[in-house]
Amino acid sequence: MSRTRKAPSASSFEKGGARIHEHVLANGLRVLLAERHLDLVVAVMLWYRAGARNETEKEAGVSHFLEHMMFKGSARYAKGAIDRITTTLGGTNNAFTTADHTAYWFEFASDRWESALEVEADRMRALLLDPAEFEAEKQVVLEELAQGEDDPWRVLSQEVQAALFPRHPYRRPVIGYADTLKALRVSEMRDYYERFYHPGNAVLVVSGDFEPARALATVQRLLGSIPAGKPYAEADAFRAPAEAQRGEQRLTLRWDDAGSRLCIAWPTVALGTDEDCILDLVSTLLAGGRLARLYRRLVIEERCATSISVHNDTRVESGCFWLFAECAQGTRPAELERQVDAELARFFAQPVSKAELTRAKRIIAAGEAHDAESVSDLAEDLGEFAIDADWRLALRTLERIQRTSAEEVRAAAARLLAPGRRVVGWCLPKEEPARARKGRAR
Amino acid sequence: MTVRAPSVPRLELPIQRFELSCGALLLVSPRPQASIAAASVHVRGGPALDPVGREGTAFLAGSLVDQGTAAHDEEQLAALLEPEGGEVGGDATGVSGSIVNERWELLLETLAEMTVAPAYPADKVELQRQRLLDRLLVERDDPRVQGGLLFRHLVYGEHWLGRAAYGTRESVARIGARELRAHHKQNWVARRGVIAVCGQVDPQAVRRKAERLFARWPAGTALQTSPPQFPERAVRSGVFHSKRAQVHVYLGHLGVPRQHPDYPALVVMDHVLGTGPGFTNRIARILRDELGLAYSVNASIHSSAGVLPGMFTAYIGTSPDKVRTALQGFRREIARIQEEPVGAEELDVAKSYLVGSFPLGFERAARRASYMISSEVHHFPADYLERLLASFAAVTREDVQRVAREQLFPDRCVLAAAGPLSQGEVSRLARPSELGTAPVARTPAPRRARSRR
Repeated sequence: MSRTRKAPSASSFEKGGARIHEHVLANGLRVLLAERHLDLVVAVMLWYRAGARNETEKEAGVSHFLEHMMFKGSARYAKGAIDRITTTLGGTNNAFTTADHTAYWFEFASDRWESALEVEADRMRALLLDPAEFEAEKQVVLEELAQGEDDPWRVLSQEVQAALFPRHPYRRPVIGYADTLKALRVSEMRDYYERFYHPGNAVLVVSGDFEPARALATVQRLLGSIPAGKPYAEADAFRAPAEAQRGEQRLTLRWDDAGSRLCIAWPTVALGTDEDCILDLVSTLLAGGRLARLYRRLVIEERCATSISVHNDTRVESGCFWLFAECAQGTRPAELERQVDAELARFFAQPVSKAELTRAKRIIAAGEAHDAESVSDLAEDLGEFAIDADWRLALRTLERIQRTSAEEVRAAAARLLAPGRRVVGWCLPKEEPARARKGRAR
Repeated sequence: MTVRAPSVPRLELPIQRFELSCGALLLVSPRPQASIAAASVHVRGGPALDPVGREGTAFLAGSLVDQGTAAHDEEQLAALLEPEGGEVGGDATGVSGSIVNERWELLLETLAEMTVAPAYPADKVELQRQRLLDRLLVERDDPRVQGGLLFRHLVYGEHWLGRAAYGTRESVARIGARELRAHHKQNWVARRGVIAVCGQVDPQAVRRKAERLFARWPAGTALQTSPPQFPERAVRSGVFHSKRAQVHVYLGHLGVPRQHPDYPALVVMDHVLGTGPGFTNRIARILRDELGLAYSVNASIHSSAGVLPGMFTAYIGTSPDKVRTALQGFRREIARIQEEPVGAEELDVAKSYLVGSFPLGFERAARRASYMISSEVHHFPADYLERLLASFAAVTREDVQRVAREQLFPDRCVLAAAGPLSQGEVSRLARPSELGTAPVARTPAPRRARSRR
């Protein structure tokens, strides 16, 4: 199976009942128009290829902090104006930052959505970054960071991620660290903004009830005159490779509650590769629903876990395959881990049955319908593939899933999820429970 | 930059109403071209019907209906639903789910089975009960959860609203399959049931199907309720001590029911005060944006209003050294909205949002099904959505000030805090007279922000 990223030449650009049109403006802005008239609603998402991956060690957290500052004033929109306009028009807005990108989102009734483009055009080229606002918002971000530090799952997964990517920026939490945030200066954020916030490094997705020719003309009028900016490759700094593990790594944290939480992660593959699709199948087979293998064994049969989930988290340069489980009270952590290992070993040794594979494929196919129910769902799915890989891959998920065989699933899982490639993290009670209900020592 | 609110977007939510021969009510909303269908079965009663000492019975009875029925065991139900994108979940007040539209009949069939004939197999009940006990044990030390529960108890006292619907470790330990079957038999009856279906469906076909599927649902008796009794609004405080980075702070008091005539004005007030999107509400603008006290901060009286009164809740998650300033900010903004009419622009912004954003929430079939249930439970008229939007649009500055004066009681608030604070500190912070006003300036905003406007 090839591991290269192949963008198919789609003949019919349709997804979730939407007709998709692609355009690239002269300044490099890629525009996806997903036309669907089910509801009188339009979602607008502007994506920048700027996430934690693009930060230097010293800048850790700047992408997310900048996302906050994008609401704190630009040439035409003073602080608070974006929220006020959005609200007055009966719309909603938000934004989020990941390891690979930052995205800004609006949803409006379909007779007024173009206001979102006016906002995005202004803050793409003329963000104020007022020093006083910068310092005030820094306190908010530090409180957000403190909020995360009270969440044991978040702390555990961040520690595991740091171990999983020893040198690559994927090791860092998207929100950054208190010390890098405190030390960050406005000039450094401005430099980052100028490096990454320009049309050639962005994708605009408009999804919902609009007329495509008019929409494109409006996009051209409002965003077409923004200077192209430096090509992305020139702005992109050197990054260490996301290396595979050299043997299993383990870590243990302590928390002041009764939970015993397990987080295992493996380095995997980039978004949009064939193996990315296979890992979607692996995750569905292992923990997608009540008949999935790990749920059945750990929760129902052995009763050694109260919950189990897995997540195929592929990114631009690599990926993580996550497994989260919480021990049933009285079960020793080693017993839970032994059960996980036994089930994975079975998965690696023998291809799943035809019925099991068919069921997983149908679950993924049905999930596609759920994932396109709202225009924002649709914009997010298309936009994420567009900014990180190729949007046409979003249209081919089912086709790629359908042609995957049980042996391909087994082989990919056995290779990518091998014990020697993983990081095993535990978050355990500060004091071990006095009595164990069941379980054997490892 | 000023923006004029445009016309109100259209929202079409046709509802056809049928009384089934079993005694339940069926509501159907056809939605052409929908890719997903949703259905809900609501059973009136919920945690109010928990036996004393077995709190959590209603929650477990609802959440375990998917663990097997007279016709299918838990694995068979999962095998039927999951490949079709079927997702089903129950709680103390019923069971609901969604599925790819073509399989809406399968969804309705399984919901009917779960409603009429859940099996409550002993081994599955024991497993799920143990999972809940484990969750409760872990949550015992979670400051956010415990702070929220403490606040409810301070507001509602011993009324069932003052506790968690899922009970306590002690009460859940006393609940078994026998208790769940008894609860279901007595309370999950057709005359208390409302069924809602939304999707690309023919209402008459849904009616025929539902008539057949629910034919054996016992009619039972209508729900009898008695007037609720709650503690007087007064200053009370409590603390859940925990060594964490932040303190979860809840300030508030008993609120109003959903049917309160001032509900639309209170929604508008909330949007000005503490729930408007982004920084369009005063509390987020001042406590988060200008003072940098928190990432999460809000205040609302309408969002918890139900058949019974909800709560006015002002919440912030902040560092321990900022709690006093945050409470001063809450009290100052409550006083301000009571003492001064709100500005014309902020009123317009709130109203425009409420009127204009309504259609955005109805893209999902599940949201439409849940609205239909809500409209029946609260006895909304057929044209309620139109009336509600008109009510929002008619709210005046004087209305907002009046309802703020009548329904907010800053001198009779309870205070619950969870984090690294002592009971003594929290008791002092609960008393308005001890808070003072410094260092936060009274209205309007601090100088830095003012100078930018």
